[in-house]
Amino acid sequence: MVISFEEVSYRYRDRGMSPVLGLDGLNLELEEGRMIAVLGAPGSGKSTLLQHMNGLIRADDGLIRILDFRLASGDGKKIPAGLRQRVGLVFQNPEQQLFEETVEKDLLFGPLNFGRSPAEAAEAVRRAASFVGLDEELLGQSPFKLSSGQMRKAAVAAVLAADPDILALDEPTASLDPASREDLMQRLHGLTRMQGKTVLVVTHRLEEIVAFADEFVVIKDGKVLFQGTAGELVHRQEVLEQGGLMAPSSVRMAGMLAAQLGLEPAEMLPDAAALAEWYAELLGS
Amino acid sequence: MAGITDKSEHAVKLKHVYYGQGCTNVLKDVSLAIPHGQWVCIAGRNGAGKSTLIRLLNGLLLMSRGRILIDGLELNGRTLGDIRRHIGMVFANPDDQFVGLTVEDDIAFGLENLCLSREEMQQRIRTYAERLDIVHLLQRHPATLSGGQKQRAAIAAVLAMEPSIIVMDEAASMLDEKAKNEMLGLMRAMHAEGRYTLISITHDVEEMAEADRMIVLDGGMVAADGSPKELLLQDDLLRRCRLKAPFALQLCRELKARGIDIGELVREKEVLEALWSYHSKRFLTATGTGG
Repeated sequence: MVISFEEVSYRYRDRGMSPVLGLDGLNLELEEGRMIAVLGAPGSGKSTLLQHMNGLIRADDGLIRILDFRLASGDGKKIPAGLRQRVGLVFQNPEQQLFEETVEKDLLFGPLNFGRSPAEAAEAVRRAASFVGLDEELLGQSPFKLSSGQMRKAAVAAVLAADPDILALDEPTASLDPASREDLMQRLHGLTRMQGKTVLVVTHRLEEIVAFADEFVVIKDGKVLFQGTAGELVHRQEVLEQGGLMAPSSVRMAGMLAAQLGLEPAEMLPDAAALAEWYAELLGS
Repeated sequence: MAGITDKSEHAVKLKHVYYGQGCTNVLKDVSLAIPHGQWVCIAGRNGAGKSTLIRLLNGLLLMSRGRILIDGLELNGRTLGDIRRHIGMVFANPDDQFVGLTVEDDIAFGLENLCLSREEMQQRIRTYAERLDIVHLLQRHPATLSGGQKQRAAIAAVLAMEPSIIVMDEAASMLDEKAKNEMLGLMRAMHAEGRYTLISITHDVEEMAEADRMIVLDGGMVAADGSPKELLLQDDLLRRCRLKAPFALQLCRELKARGIDIGELVREKEVLEALWSYHSKRFLTATGTGG
């Protein structure tokens, strides 16, 4: 078990008169080396969950174990040494984590801060930039001159450059064009397979991650509403509904086609080829 | 008010517009004309110049060269105030555009700047809150709303000012899928009403398929301009603006590869209809009951 949450609760106290519940006795166990989709409607607690991963938010109650670190509610605010090096967090708004004069300096900050030599850091930056598909010519520019999509890539690269074991990303594909989105998902999936990293992706779009993640966690009201595979999730209408999610196009189309023909929809892989195959067989038989 | 000062047939007209930061041009020689009532989507890869283009329309950014006409009015220092009343802007993050302590205050804020009478203001707040289905949220603080509710409140505040041109910059990109779908329904309804010109930056091919017209930007220039039904079929163009073919089209192609040819369609609804008639025809032929 690389990550475990036991009865973790957290309340936001800075949002008006009464504390707002972020997490509510949440239990979750995740295995190492997998890509995990964390889904849910806005305000469900999925970002709050992510921010517990590297101690950015400390739980009011409960126990969190990550790698060989232990974060208990009574431990105070001290962050265990090494936690933030091994758990990298990419925030929802990239402009909140970029701060240097140039993109390159921003990307160098992590590796240098964690004690790499300048040469190693430069190499890590080059690899991270090419990994996310960030043009090298942008490295010399101010991060705040970049378009929103380029800024997003820079923020992901900045965290990757520090080479964490666990990578947790909050809505990393918002404002990316669709090809960049699919590309990033593919590459993140690659990190789990080639380098054994654990990758958590918070998203509200099931469609873009359904083909890539190994495991799907749906959060609702600060609790885990569902944990399982894509195949299980896309057919759980009540879970999708409560998570503000829509079944992927293929599943929806399969349902409508089946209804049109007066049939029960079949279970299949969520892509166009599988749906066409199913339909062709149906007509052939 | 929609169309009152307007003698022009175009809601938006750009003539040889440039915009540059330092030595790099973000927009190069962009010319285009958008007629009243059209639903236009603007597509292009990250950094293509989409957001820059729409920010020039109401002077949030100032062009370096060229001419811009909004409802026939030349955009310059004198007309800027007027022109801003013609254009309503909706951004991806509704939090960026809230100013009031309640949703109602927030709608009222924009109206106060229009020097309307109190009765007229209240009338408009009521009308647009009803249209956007946020009457029950009027007394709530914007921060307590869900993402979809926030975006509806932001749109109500924009529509209450009765602009004739609505510009949306990835307005659905931060919404959950259900709210995104509702937003598309709202755009459809606004378009059907005919009083709005809709200009929407989007990466969503399903949304593009519904628009009247698709303008593709690439490297700060107009790379393609035409009907989404035709442009979405062009694989090389999609690749250039880093889009994926709509699911409906992918399905049409996979079906064709399996001997079921219903043509190339970009909307799911059309595919369902086409398959229904394909199926019925086949059934009639097979049973010998059709001609």
